[in-house]
Amino acid sequence: MAAEKKNPMSKALVRRETMAGYAFMLPSLVFFLGFVIYPMVQCVFTSFFDATMNREDIFIGLANYKELFQDTVFLGALRNTAVIVIVSVPVVCIFSLWVSSVIYDIKGAACSAFRCIFYLPVVTGSVAVTVVWKWMFNNYYGIFNYVGTSTGLLKQNINWLGDERYALGCIILILLTTSVGQPIVLYVSALNNVDQSLVEAAEVDGATKFQCFWKIKWPQIMPTTLYILVITTINSFQCFALIQLLTSGGPNHSTDTIMYYIYYNAFKLYRYGYGNAMGVVLAIIIAILSAIQFKMAERD
Amino acid sequence: MKKRKLMAMALSCLMVLAAAGCGNGGGGNAASGSAAGDSGSSAAAPSQSSSAAQAETPTAEGAEITLWTYPIGKWGDADTVNGLVANFNAVHPEIKVTVEYLDYSNGDDQINTAIEGNQAPDIVLEGPERLVANWGAKGLMVDLADLWTAEAKSAIYASVESACKSNDGVYYEYPLCMTAHTMAINKDIFEAAGAMQYIDEANGTWTTDDFIKAVQAVYDSGQANVGAVYCNGQGGDQGTRALVNNLYGGTFTNPEHTEYTANSEENIKALQLLYDMDGINYDASIVGGDEINMFCNGTLAMAFCWNVAQEKNNQDKISFDVLPMAFPSNGDPKLCGGIWGFGIFNNGDEAKIAAAKTFIDFMANDEKQAVESVRASSYWPVKDLGNIYEGDELMTEYSKFVPYMGDYYQVVGGWAEARTAWWNMLQQVGSGVDVKTAVEEFVATSNAAAQ
Repeated sequence: MAAEKKNPMSKALVRRETMAGYAFMLPSLVFFLGFVIYPMVQCVFTSFFDATMNREDIFIGLANYKELFQDTVFLGALRNTAVIVIVSVPVVCIFSLWVSSVIYDIKGAACSAFRCIFYLPVVTGSVAVTVVWKWMFNNYYGIFNYVGTSTGLLKQNINWLGDERYALGCIILILLTTSVGQPIVLYVSALNNVDQSLVEAAEVDGATKFQCFWKIKWPQIMPTTLYILVITTINSFQCFALIQLLTSGGPNHSTDTIMYYIYYNAFKLYRYGYGNAMGVVLAIIIAILSAIQFKMAERD
Repeated sequence: MKKRKLMAMALSCLMVLAAAGCGNGGGGNAASGSAAGDSGSSAAAPSQSSSAAQAETPTAEGAEITLWTYPIGKWGDADTVNGLVANFNAVHPEIKVTVEYLDYSNGDDQINTAIEGNQAPDIVLEGPERLVANWGAKGLMVDLADLWTAEAKSAIYASVESACKSNDGVYYEYPLCMTAHTMAINKDIFEAAGAMQYIDEANGTWTTDDFIKAVQAVYDSGQANVGAVYCNGQGGDQGTRALVNNLYGGTFTNPEHTEYTANSEENIKALQLLYDMDGINYDASIVGGDEINMFCNGTLAMAFCWNVAQEKNNQDKISFDVLPMAFPSNGDPKLCGGIWGFGIFNNGDEAKIAAAKTFIDFMANDEKQAVESVRASSYWPVKDLGNIYEGDELMTEYSKFVPYMGDYYQVVGGWAEARTAWWNMLQQVGSGVDVKTAVEEFVATSNAAAQ
């Protein structure tokens, strides 16, 4: 009798609502299964085959994986990807947190203006952004060389994207500018949601600004930080468009990333099995890193 | 909490796997790919040859065929091609032709995907590197031996004929037009530098020694960027290949097109020369298209990626006198050529194959139509059709380079891999790697792919 009072819905009604819920989910589920799960399974499956266009696939077991770890270009791409992740993830997080903490309590249009400025590279097409950067880095008439040689900082023009000493650094720099927009917007929101009464109480008790941030704000924005860390890590691992549009992995493979090398093998050489094997390895690496990030956040 | 963590991790994996999985067309479609391959196997080719003789028989009547064309001059322009097809239909109203237009950035993907799905076009307009060395070698194309009559063989240039057939003598392409890729110099800069003395302007040729002297003179005149060995990608790579091969008479493959020979002493010497020359830079940040733009805007004094189409297409950007040149050589220059023609995919429908042959025969062999078909390409005929560009000064100027066309080695196996390995090798040389080491690696990679 008491239970009936707690849940006045009849079992039939619950069942009907449950069925309706599943019915509403069905289109998304079909889409998810067809366009996410199926390609994922197919990717793993094909990685065990010598698969290419216009002929039957040949089962080769783990040969693709074995070849992968003997492929110096792949290992180089793995190293380059790691460099991009190691440099860009902390820089993006720290820079966006710094900018956000400066602008979040600015009132009115100024805060929106800052958010727009930093978010602009995110909404601008990557091709457009890349074309502008390519012009700025141009060996012959790029603005960096022009300013550098005019001011005497450079003795002669530097082939920024054509010299393996600089090319990866240039890619990372562009990646940073296109990556900070979203974290800044997220951090501004998160900082605005911090309970101000706690901050005020701490200030009354004599806490410094740093102590307020570290002891009160930081724990409250930790979920946002975790999300930004994971997303930035994944985005950095999947750095592709910049490489494709600017350097094609060169010079001398110095800007090859795993994603670009996957593309190169799959769509230039039509080595689908080999490309998919790389995709699986990349997925495993990202999964492990994400797990570590979650674990560390949980401990904090 | 645990569920949420698992979900987040799973989503991370999915994002990557979905991206990689998009490229997979092999596993699931293997059967269909195989079917296409089987139906077009070389074993089936002789039967096609015998039936091909019936090109004008009623089997072609009522056939609907598809033509997929790469952008070879105006063959990529719908208005022009509609006009050409209208000419065909005026004579052959019984055959309906549907045209699709490809571009070089994803045309190969479109065709390969169509092959996988048993939806390959009936006719494709492209060059031997695809028709013969790729799809022909895979047994997907129809043998066009019956179009290659004794009359056709005697009319079409021998070098073109050899490019249109496989090593075992099967004709997979019927050619329409050709061009020779040249290089070009900024005549104004060369004149100002006093470098024109090193050039045979009338013939558009120069020796290797004169090339070295000319580049030095231009460099000494204050033009720091005389030329660029562009190597950011494969775009326009015929220019760098021709440059390297011509300087000291090296070759890219053996005459049989079965092996890469770019590691010869001549080629190593040429690559080293370019590395050592003032004013010539190995530039890993640009491709052929970028080089053309930089030549047109005066940044570079010479372009290695050039042909008549470049001059026509860039006339509004060029404010100086362009002088097209053969690549420097100590003998007759051997220019890289482009040969374009028709191939027929074996879709297993005899009526369509017969109709396709009728279409090709009309476009390439009809006395009046052949001239119009070639003119649409903006290039030159593969046989003597007279001066089809009479009164056109530019075409007449460039026509002097056509006889310099060298061996059409692009039909060698492993071509896609070799093209990529080539610009990677140039990048290595440009970054200071020992030339011999880099070239040996290139040849090893390419020959492995050719096997």
